[in-house]
Amino acid sequence: MKTISARQTGIIIFLTIFANKILLLPSIMYQKSQADAVFVMFGIFALELFILWVFLSLKKRYPYQNLQQILKKSIGKYLSKVLIFVFLIFFLFKTILTYSVVYVYLKDLVYQDEFGFLALVCFLPVVNHAVVCGLRAMGRTFELFYYLILAGVIFCLAIAFFTEISIPVFFTANVGAMFNSAFTHLFSFGDYLVLFVFIDKISLEKKDYKKILSFAFFAIILVLMIFSIFYAKYQITSFMHNNALADLLVFSVQFNAIGRLDIVAMLTIMTLGLFQLEIFQYAFCESFVMVFDKLSIKYAIAVFDILFFVIYFILIGKYELMIQLTTQYLSYFSLLSNFIVPIIIACCLFKKKKELKE
Amino acid sequence: MKQIVEEKIENFKNQFHDSDDFASRIFICDQGTIGFVFLKSMSDPILFSQNIYLPIQNYAKTISSDNLINVILKNNVIEKIESKDIIKNILDGKVVVFSDFFNDYISVDITSYPTRTPSEPPTSPVIQGPREGFVEDFKTNMTLIRRRIHSKDLVFETMFVGQITQTKVILTYIDKVADKKVVKHIKNKISKIKINGIVDSYYILSFLEKRPNSLFKQIGNSEKPDVVVSKMLEGKVAIIVDNSPIVLTVPFILMEDMQSSNDYYTNHHYSSVVRFIRMLGLLIAIVAPGFYLALQLFHYNILPLNFLITIADTTQGLPFTPFLEILFIFLLFQILYEVSLRLPSYLGLATSVVGALILGDTGVKAGLISPPGVIITALAKIALYTVPEQQSQITVLQIIFIILGGSLGILGIVCGFIYVVNYLNTLNDFDTPYMAPYAPRIRKDLQDGLIKVPPNDMKSPPSSFAGPINKEGK
Repeated sequence: MKTISARQTGIIIFLTIFANKILLLPSIMYQKSQADAVFVMFGIFALELFILWVFLSLKKRYPYQNLQQILKKSIGKYLSKVLIFVFLIFFLFKTILTYSVVYVYLKDLVYQDEFGFLALVCFLPVVNHAVVCGLRAMGRTFELFYYLILAGVIFCLAIAFFTEISIPVFFTANVGAMFNSAFTHLFSFGDYLVLFVFIDKISLEKKDYKKILSFAFFAIILVLMIFSIFYAKYQITSFMHNNALADLLVFSVQFNAIGRLDIVAMLTIMTLGLFQLEIFQYAFCESFVMVFDKLSIKYAIAVFDILFFVIYFILIGKYELMIQLTTQYLSYFSLLSNFIVPIIIACCLFKKKKELKE
Repeated sequence: MKQIVEEKIENFKNQFHDSDDFASRIFICDQGTIGFVFLKSMSDPILFSQNIYLPIQNYAKTISSDNLINVILKNNVIEKIESKDIIKNILDGKVVVFSDFFNDYISVDITSYPTRTPSEPPTSPVIQGPREGFVEDFKTNMTLIRRRIHSKDLVFETMFVGQITQTKVILTYIDKVADKKVVKHIKNKISKIKINGIVDSYYILSFLEKRPNSLFKQIGNSEKPDVVVSKMLEGKVAIIVDNSPIVLTVPFILMEDMQSSNDYYTNHHYSSVVRFIRMLGLLIAIVAPGFYLALQLFHYNILPLNFLITIADTTQGLPFTPFLEILFIFLLFQILYEVSLRLPSYLGLATSVVGALILGDTGVKAGLISPPGVIITALAKIALYTVPEQQSQITVLQIIFIILGGSLGILGIVCGFIYVVNYLNTLNDFDTPYMAPYAPRIRKDLQDGLIKVPPNDMKSPPSSFAGPINKEGK
């Protein structure tokens, strides 16, 4: 089987944690919990380590089986398909959300006019092709671009850091607001779930766990740094800046006088967005194949494309509707996919462990 | 008795369709008749007379089947052959000797045909280091390799390809270093080649490639024995094809084309810098025209104001759109390139004058093309030759990226680039990742990547080739 290494897995984790939290999320989270959104993020990240723990335990116990094979033994064929179907829906909307966020960025800052179909024409064939190429090719591509992306992000952060910033005002939101913020933005998390659907395509040894964790922690630290510097830079106007990473550069007046540096953010965001789309679409297709086990991945891609076109005309480009969907309806769904399903999987794991002990 | 030998000669002559270069001689002695057949175009008639015919004439009275081999002068390779191998031996330039008083067929090597002496290949000149290059003769090429590897582990395996040409294809590798699976796989692929003729090593490329329709090169090649030998020391298998100065090497990774033989004969710090420049050159060659178009058409706000004013000034009043302008200049350069390749050398200067002065300068002055457009396209075309081995692929990619940049802007270029990289990462011929040692990252092999370490630190062959199973899965 074509597998990916621990390093490539770590990079996938890094990209999924990082990519969909650096554009829209800082601004919309500020509306609910102000600068304390950093603490909210920290809290959710800490909670999410549970998902990572479940994944690593699962991998340790079943190194060569896929999720369906693992779940089938514990909860039966149909219930396992239901759980994977939850993942399938989660990844479908995750992909749509990522498209929407990148679309908003491209429309606002890069092309400055109606751009929808152009973005679609660009992204869809590339993402479809990547899924056809498979996880191994994708993992290698991510590995190749990892340092470039990192350099781009750090460059944006450094430029923002060395321009006018002041310490953000923390501890202004009450605990209720923070919980509310955490719940409403839950859909932007659940990034470790992608690992479950291609668990059998990852080669991990016990010594690699540290590597995986280090990539996850690094991504978390970087996201928290972006949030902090973004709030430090824009303070109470943070909610107006919908493209956090790009806005860190756009309004850096001193550096703009020398030459426009937007290109760095542009290339970084486009690459990151594309990679995240690849990961989520691949996760969708893998889940699809597990649910509808008689259909190949090419059918999964075709189904995704059809669904995508349908949802595209309803959602993408409609900023308000998209926010409403993710912060109201999908939050409940995220609770199910991000926590309840992993808890069920963990229970299956413990049940199996107990049975083995007995 | 004489009749038997004459009949045999007549038979051979018929098999060669009375070809003018077919030669035969008859020598009659007391014991019987001796026949000789060979091809004048492949053998040396003087050697035949001096080393074979005259000695036999001198010992005519005592000659027998037992002492015939001893009579022929020993500076030629002599062997007894079976009747089924007679034609093959004649075609190889050997004289086949037979008689009516003994049953054996004796083949004597007097092969002689014009060959080029090894000289510096025009495609890969070096400032320091060996200047020898392969030639069209396979024997010379084998010698050039053997001279560099004094080891009993060096293996040459000859196969014949081409239903009509029966061209010699020689597989060469170092037994203890090369991966047996790769050797077996190549042998298997070569043995299955069904083609009328092989004129150059390029003919067998598509039979060896896993994806023959791919734009990208999947088999390495070189005209320099030192390069081929160093690749063989890394565990690769070389394929010599008779009548071709280009020796193929497998497996192939993209990084090979970033390396030049010069890198190994100069300071390693300098080599690292040069490799970075080559990488940058490759990148500029692929995306520069497309990127310039994207900036000009979609993202002009990114450009510094002074540069933007220059572009606006120079492109004002042009009859073409920026997209067509770049395509036009690109086409112009490509035509000039093709012309310079095929024109006789004494007309080279005239091409330069026509290209640089008349087409370039006058084109700008006439307001047909803009100076930035010419500069960017020229830069891309020149940068292409930092990695000349990738010239054909890059030219196609340039056109694709011009279209992407001109129609979709930077997003098109990013998408195109990632598409290409994703595709390259699927290439995994002979279990060797195409983008190694960077994707997947093979730490040990980074020593000869973009940053090169001194030779004393490169102690073992790279694991990208030595191990047959993909590394990242382990």
